[in-house]
Amino acid sequence: MKKNAVKNVLWMTAAALLVASNAALARVKLVALPERARVVVSLNNPDATLVEEERLITLQKGVNKVDFSWRGVNIDGTSIQVRCLTSPDKVKILNTSYPPNENALIWEVFSPAAQEERMRISYLISGLNREVVYRAVAEPDEKALNLRNYLRLRNNSGEDLTDAEIGIGYGANFKKTIAHEEVLEMQSERLDAVPIKKILTWDAANLPWDPEYEKKTVGIPLSYVIMNDKASKLGAHTLQPGKVRIFIKTKEQPEKEGEKPGEGVAFTGEDWAQLTPVDREMKLYIGQSRDVKVTQRRTKNDRYEIRRNNSNNDVVWNVDEVYKIEIENFKKQAVDLVIVEHIPGYWKMEETSHPFEKKDAFTIEYKLSLAPETSAAKKTTVTFNVKRLNVQGNEPSRY
Amino acid sequence: MKCLPKLLLAMTTICAATALQARINVVTLPDRDKVQLTIYNSVDLTLVKETRALTFRKGLNRLEFSWANTLIDPTSVEFRALTQADKVDVLDVSFPPRVANTLEWRIQSDVAGEVQVEIRYFTSGLSWTADYVAEANQNEKAMQLAGAVRITNNSGEDYENAQVRLVVGVIRLVEEIVTLARQNMPQASAPPPSAMPATALPARDRAAAGLAFGGGVALAEAKPKEVVKEGMSEYFLYTVEGRDTIPNGWAKRLPSFQTPDVPLTSYYKFEKERWGDRVLRFYKFKNDKENKLGNEPLPDGAVKAFRFISPDKLYAFVGRTAVKYIPIGEEVEMELGNDLEVLVKPKLMNWEKSDLRFDANGNVKGWTIKETWEIEIQNSKEIDITLDIRRNFAGDWTLETAAKYEKVDANKVKFVLPLKPGEKQKITYDLTTRQGINAQR
Repeated sequence: MKKNAVKNVLWMTAAALLVASNAALARVKLVALPERARVVVSLNNPDATLVEEERLITLQKGVNKVDFSWRGVNIDGTSIQVRCLTSPDKVKILNTSYPPNENALIWEVFSPAAQEERMRISYLISGLNREVVYRAVAEPDEKALNLRNYLRLRNNSGEDLTDAEIGIGYGANFKKTIAHEEVLEMQSERLDAVPIKKILTWDAANLPWDPEYEKKTVGIPLSYVIMNDKASKLGAHTLQPGKVRIFIKTKEQPEKEGEKPGEGVAFTGEDWAQLTPVDREMKLYIGQSRDVKVTQRRTKNDRYEIRRNNSNNDVVWNVDEVYKIEIENFKKQAVDLVIVEHIPGYWKMEETSHPFEKKDAFTIEYKLSLAPETSAAKKTTVTFNVKRLNVQGNEPSRY
Repeated sequence: MKCLPKLLLAMTTICAATALQARINVVTLPDRDKVQLTIYNSVDLTLVKETRALTFRKGLNRLEFSWANTLIDPTSVEFRALTQADKVDVLDVSFPPRVANTLEWRIQSDVAGEVQVEIRYFTSGLSWTADYVAEANQNEKAMQLAGAVRITNNSGEDYENAQVRLVVGVIRLVEEIVTLARQNMPQASAPPPSAMPATALPARDRAAAGLAFGGGVALAEAKPKEVVKEGMSEYFLYTVEGRDTIPNGWAKRLPSFQTPDVPLTSYYKFEKERWGDRVLRFYKFKNDKENKLGNEPLPDGAVKAFRFISPDKLYAFVGRTAVKYIPIGEEVEMELGNDLEVLVKPKLMNWEKSDLRFDANGNVKGWTIKETWEIEIQNSKEIDITLDIRRNFAGDWTLETAAKYEKVDANKVKFVLPLKPGEKQKITYDLTTRQGINAQR
């Protein structure tokens, strides 16, 4: 058992025909170590890595013992399953014995004849971790990007996996060899010209209302939005969470005058992608824009219909609020901006200069397309008048 | 590998009553002929029954029984003669002073010759558990369910060639066997074993008869051992076909049943109060004849669920869980963890406060809240599923919706919807809750 230094998971068959019952549990380790015929690694379940391996085992007629033991491999012993593939109706697993204080088990396998049987053993292994990694290169106009998805496997399982078929639940399996302590990165998808939307998001709850009062220029979060659908050349499966690094194509200065400029890239930022089912958006917050300036002011905040109790305390009132949002785009390009406003409690919109979208009971969004160089006199102004009703001072703002 | 038996039986023949003090231990050391283990899973208890052939002299015989390094309950050891029962009589039993783990029976025999005797006692340290493997088809409409029993021996004794019986059921013990076992001899809290008549426990004649069939090995060569099940009182008795040897420290797992094509429902549940934003996956099946099961109650145990993902039956690991004891006829839900491929996203879309009422002092004493909810649902899996969404409402509430729902109790409703692969749906409902003096119930 100790002579094999490479493989840590050992299969052994002992030609132990049960002659006497007393020999039933004597572990004869006279071995023809069967070679692995196939290894399949399934990463379908995000919480567990399943390994299936197949071996050709020479069985004698009668009861055989197959010894499976492991050292230095993080196999979950309670998860081990064995199946006979060649003649599942004839070759039977009679029982499994577990010796004390050992990472081992012994199957008693009955075979009606001397024959070779392909057996598949399945078990959960820890230490074989996967991560999904995305790398994208955006076009200079930021309307599309080339997306590369990678599966990165980190093998700390203690086991060398040779020519393993690695499946992630979608697409074709990879056939790879990954040694213990090796990290292997495989390209799982390659998509060119995936359309993206570039969006700036100004959230009234997170950003200062009046940039004039700030010491530094306020940066507005910049996101790329990728739609996981057919129109975006995606939509075949849920996009897994993982780190996305985004680059943008740049022209490089020619070394000599008159030469064509070379193509290069610059890094524009990274984010953690969230799990994104089909037909939903993956929004990647990759940086800030400081060429768009948003100033928000509350220009009216009047209480009315105040109802007081006998002690002359205010108990219920309404509020009439007007907001004015001034937006300046200093860029030479048009840009999309989303303004997020939060209104607690019971409210009614009385008037608005632009259409808005109600995201939930307490959140609205203005989706604006800012034309190039629309600052100063050309700035965009959004106003809205909201009436908050039956206010008692304890209005819910989230659910 | 074979350990020396730790249970020793020694026989002394007494010639004269005055020789009582002299304890001569070596006369005959009869081998165990048969041993039967009845292992309970709800408590740490195994009933051991062994039969031996002893040669008695006519007159007074002394029989010594000792059990070093085992976990035998000294208060439970019993002796009875199987043959010549009316001629062999236990006069008393003594736990000699300063001798650990030993007892001595004084037996009056009216015959000389061989007598089949049975010795019965409780031990701790043997246990058994059930476990199951569910192999679902690719579409998760049916599964093969296989049950197994795993017997573990940490009793300190090697039980060779034993018949193994497993009891499914909950019995009461007022004292733990392992505690009694550590006491070497009966202590004050327990009645002396001689006080308990030898017939206090009904002899399991049927099982005893079963002992006559040996040849477990011969049977095993043809097929896995059958586990024969029968009901008794509130318990179920599993008898493993043939004989088994489980040395101390070892465990052994034996197949119990295997049923293909058991109808299965892939059922998903969402209940924010229980699991947050996660959608949990359940495999639902029924333990009855119509669903190819129902031959026996299924003891509580661990379940591993796999799903075939290729024509050559490669597995995907679905999840693992523990199931409770499942009586015949009961529907079972196996919880297999959350599934990211099913999305349920409830959103509060509108909130209104109205119908304010004031008391004589002008304070608000009653109001009504109307909430409009929208639940986004998406099945990203490639198979049909059923989704069960539960919502909890407190107080005096009224629900208005076009969606079909069912009231679970006074404060809970459920929406159950079948979803096709890739299907998206939206449920909306209005919930009105009357607060303070507006509440009518």
